[in-house]
Amino acid sequence: MKTEDQAWRDLQAHAAAQLRAGFADRALRVARGPQDATWRQLNAHAARQLRPGFADRVLRAARAVAEVPSLSSQFALSAATAVFCLAAVIFLQDRSAQLADERNLADWERIVLSARDAQDAPDNDSI
Amino acid sequence: MAYQHRVAGFVYAMTNRSDYVEDLSQQIFIKMVRAVDRLQAPAQFESWLFRLARNTCIDQLRRQKLRRIFLPFGEEHENIPEPAGAVDTEELDALRHALAQLRPQDRALLALVQEGRSHAEIAETLDTTVAAVKARLHRAREHLREHYQPDHEN
Repeated sequence: MKTEDQAWRDLQAHAAAQLRAGFADRALRVARGPQDATWRQLNAHAARQLRPGFADRVLRAARAVAEVPSLSSQFALSAATAVFCLAAVIFLQDRSAQLADERNLADWERIVLSARDAQDAPDNDSI
Repeated sequence: MAYQHRVAGFVYAMTNRSDYVEDLSQQIFIKMVRAVDRLQAPAQFESWLFRLARNTCIDQLRRQKLRRIFLPFGEEHENIPEPAGAVDTEELDALRHALAQLRPQDRALLALVQEGRSHAEIAETLDTTVAAVKARLHRAREHLREHYQPDHEN
């Protein structure tokens, strides 16, 4: 019959057998957290994602972007165009109103002259 | 372009996606080229560059989140994390897995520390105080350690 101590030792041995090889090493690694070497691996992995000629591509793209007008300059151009169109509309409207006024005045003058002529005509008849 | 590997590492730590590294790094350097003449203090170039990198990555992660909301099925492949084993070692997989569990802000913080930035520089990069950086860094390290399992099954 097993003693109690023996039973405990068996239990411990069974429990210890459940631990995979390298348990202590893994526990230490977890406790310490990621080491600088792991961060360096991460950086190296990231650096490998950059295809050769990265710097040239960036400079080319930056130049291409620089050639495209900026948002503010596009906005300024749109605003200037809108102001120009508005001024043109106001000018044309003003001009057409002025012409209409001149035409109306000329018509009225003609009507007044005709009325005067008509008014003068019976007097001549009566004489 | 001496910074390209460092920025690539930062982008990868922030996004956890190999396929984003080239595109985002390119965006960051284009922004850098276009804005570098507006940099007031050349001595602060590195802080400025990594702030640019952090903001670009966070914008990308926000766009990705919005896309998931509006196109839940259309871009399904974007939700699939990079498979374990796609990278070199068990430790690296574990680090990637642990980083993926953190908030992007915390990932940025840890990546900046790994970049060798001081607390003051990080505070400047993140527009916060040194005390806040220390507190957040402590929490981020705790979370990273909680999730760092080099022998995890997946």
